Amino acid sequence: MATSTLSSVTLSLSDRITAGFLALLVGGFLVFGTGLANSATIHDTAHDVRHSFGFPCH
Amino acid sequence: MIVKTLLAAVVAGLIAGVFMTGAQELRVVPLILHAEEFENAEQPAVQPATPPAGEQQQHSSLSGAALLGEVLAALSPVTPAYAHEGEHEDGGIMFGMSRFSGTLLANLVAGAGFALLLTAIGLLSNRPVTFANGVYWGACGWLAVHLLPAIGLPPELPGFPAAELQDRQLWWIATVLLSGAGLYLLALRGEMIAKIAGLVLIALPHIYGAPQPLDISSNVPAVLGAEFAVAALATTLGFWLVLGVVLGFINDRFLKA
Repeated sequence: MATSTLSSVTLSLSDRITAGFLALLVGGFLVFGTGLANSATIHDTAHDVRHSFGFPCH
Repeated sequence: MIVKTLLAAVVAGLIAGVFMTGAQELRVVPLILHAEEFENAEQPAVQPATPPAGEQQQHSSLSGAALLGEVLAALSPVTPAYAHEGEHEDGGIMFGMSRFSGTLLANLVAGAGFALLLTAIGLLSNRPVTFANGVYWGACGWLAVHLLPAIGLPPELPGFPAAELQDRQLWWIATVLLSGAGLYLLALRGEMIAKIAGLVLIALPHIYGAPQPLDISSNVPAVLGAEFAVAALATTLGFWLVLGVVLGFINDRFLKA
């Protein structure tokens, strides 16, 4: 896409990679916690969310 | 700047999470509650067969006995309701919150998580999420995380028969990753070979096949299940489109140097 040259995020290459992996790590952790973690308490809290997001549940 | 980028994602995720909570209350949550009535209706009949009260009922535990019980429960035509609010003492909703607050909290966390993942992919592929392309990013997120996995494992109601949890989670994660990679090759790469490889990646988990339950009988009416699957997919589509556009807007507005 041509829009990538009009990048709104102006980060240096190393910053971009760092931020990318950091976001990947934290985001993955949060999504895993909400959707897939095996704790009964987390399951019960996120129960309706797991079902409505279509995460495998029960 | 890194922190600002991540913060922008979190804020967009929280906004989308609040939106998601409102959207869920319209149709998805009422359907879950309705299904639980059918699920719970069979409780008394199941009671004698269940382990004595004291025993922990962690259906998602990794221990052998609990896993066996879970498999049996999943295969049983009479599915006991478990891990629902107020039905047993262990577990329960965090900090003693109400069911709605728990849902809101989980939506906020999930929203922030998905927003960070979207940001990460945008950064690593050097195609940042903007106001102009946010809706496409959102649509691709929905395809990868919801529609494509739903082909094998449609969003299900409590009390629906299902294969073993771990198998389904594994298949689901693999499908989301393969679908995401496939969509990247399909949408953002120009080469013909990349597009073909993308289609192959997307098709792969479905050719392999999702784990399915052996016994598909359920107390929950099928009509509810059909309504729920569509409602859940429609709600998550709204969530992803809002997430993509809001994330793009915040990126454009606050991250411009």
